[in-house]
Amino acid sequence: MRAPLFLLAIPSTLWYLFLFVVPVVLVVVYSFGTKVPGSPGDIDLDSPGLDRYREVFEGSFNTVLRQTMRTSIVGTVLCLVVGLPVAYFLAFKLSPRAKALVLTLLMIPFFTNYLLRTLAWEIVLQPRGFVSNLLQDEHWFTFGRQLRDTPIQILGTRAAVQIAIVYNYLPLMIFPIWVALDRVEPHLVEASKDLGAGRLRTLLQVTLPLAAPGIVAGLVLVFVPLSGDYVTAALLGGTKGNMLGAEVANQYFSAQNPPAGSAIAVSLILSILAVVAAFALCVWLLRRLLWLNRRVRPALRQAAQP
Amino acid sequence: MRRSLSVKAGLTLWTAAVIVFLFTPIVFLVVSSFNDFTSIFRFTRFSGKWWGRMLDNEPMKDAVVTSLEVAVISTAISLVLGTLAGVALARRPGRWTTAFVGLILLILVTPEIVDGAGQLSWFVWLGGPFREGILPIVLVHTVFSSAVVTLIVRARVAGLDANLEEAAADLFATPTRAFFQITLPLVMPAVLAGGLLSFTLSLDNVVATSFVSPAGHTTFPNYVFGLQGGTIRPEVAAMATVVIGMTLLAVVGVILALRRGGQSGSEIAAGLTAH
Repeated sequence: MRAPLFLLAIPSTLWYLFLFVVPVVLVVVYSFGTKVPGSPGDIDLDSPGLDRYREVFEGSFNTVLRQTMRTSIVGTVLCLVVGLPVAYFLAFKLSPRAKALVLTLLMIPFFTNYLLRTLAWEIVLQPRGFVSNLLQDEHWFTFGRQLRDTPIQILGTRAAVQIAIVYNYLPLMIFPIWVALDRVEPHLVEASKDLGAGRLRTLLQVTLPLAAPGIVAGLVLVFVPLSGDYVTAALLGGTKGNMLGAEVANQYFSAQNPPAGSAIAVSLILSILAVVAAFALCVWLLRRLLWLNRRVRPALRQAAQP
Repeated sequence: MRRSLSVKAGLTLWTAAVIVFLFTPIVFLVVSSFNDFTSIFRFTRFSGKWWGRMLDNEPMKDAVVTSLEVAVISTAISLVLGTLAGVALARRPGRWTTAFVGLILLILVTPEIVDGAGQLSWFVWLGGPFREGILPIVLVHTVFSSAVVTLIVRARVAGLDANLEEAAADLFATPTRAFFQITLPLVMPAVLAGGLLSFTLSLDNVVATSFVSPAGHTTFPNYVFGLQGGTIRPEVAAMATVVIGMTLLAVVGVILALRRGGQSGSEIAAGLTAH
């Protein structure tokens, strides 16, 4: 009876080895190779070396890497700022029925094809489109009059990319934070208030620390796929939206140079890991500091007991 | 008390604004399908003519058919793999569980551009059927989807009483029979939710698909991606509206399925975000 159930995971394991592990290893291996000159992307692995990486770092890599990381970090922080109040509202201020409704409303755009959503932003942000006209013709804003005859260029700017990125990744921030907040014991919040803490103090010292794992999960869930995304930026940012992902695709398709594309892809992953590691270090230091600042330091397990 | 009310009012307004923000572009996309002009980017006046012409666009129709075929087949494969692995994870935890869950999380966080590039290289090396038809697209879609199904099914099975299966065994059911007659019906809501999710994830995929698609085979989102830089006619927006409508039905289906299975909203979201 025990053995057969264990065997059930074997098909998946083989499947992932064949379709995930081998391809990812191939990317790493190819990045040490050389393109056979004149071929449609054949790879020469006879003299493996770091030449592709050298070429990558000598090219526009640094500029694009900086742009990718800035776009991703700003996008992630914006998602947190916009998403945290929503998650808090969902967790504490709604009846179960209203919660289900708001949750459904948040999920529908999330599961709508993201390319179609990005296309939709292209419509909204056209130079003669809705937002531009709203700012000009309708006199909704005082400065509308001055801008009347010049269409407002939003497409092709960094602002357009950031708006669409927040749009595309926001639910990935809201869901995990909400799950963490939802698990916070209401008794702990009440206890904090009974002990004389104000609302803000309770929020900062009880509720948010308890939700910290969800916040960290949200940050990672947004930041990691966002750094690899290039479609949103390519459609809305034009040349301003160049991301490393686009460079990888260019090397594979236009330049037909898989080794160079692989080297960029590996560098991208390493950069993502570096940012995540730096972030983890900051979180650890912050916790350590907060801990040292506390006058009373109960063991966590005791503190959680009613 | 008054401050508490104003905080609540502020949060309500904020959330309402976010929901408006989330729906605005979708509304614009739908409205632009009723445009009279030949481009979705300039609205002239209302007309339903492009809805009539939607089905005359052969390449777009082919792309939608490909999308649906790929979604159905990859969902079926993901369900089989994910359900089996999810049951195994929940019922036979051990040292291998950590490694397996680690692999699944790695799959979920690896940027698509990296898997896509690797899968293309691998399929080129393998050649033959891996560079023809819809097979490569299907295979690529199953990787991410089956990982998600595994986590959802695992969460559901972990919440079930293992004694039910033991009882079946005591009543002389073979392990296979116990699985099909006891375990599977109980995890059905999770399987259904996982299936609908796989379906929408498959319809959503662009990057990996663009890497591995063989010549002459493309999915609907990739067809739209290919139109970038040129004129996009309102018939594309009309088809997009149909696809969005299907997604909407699927999402409502997932939520209803999980609710019937007795999972709370919190658990649903936890499953979706791989907690």
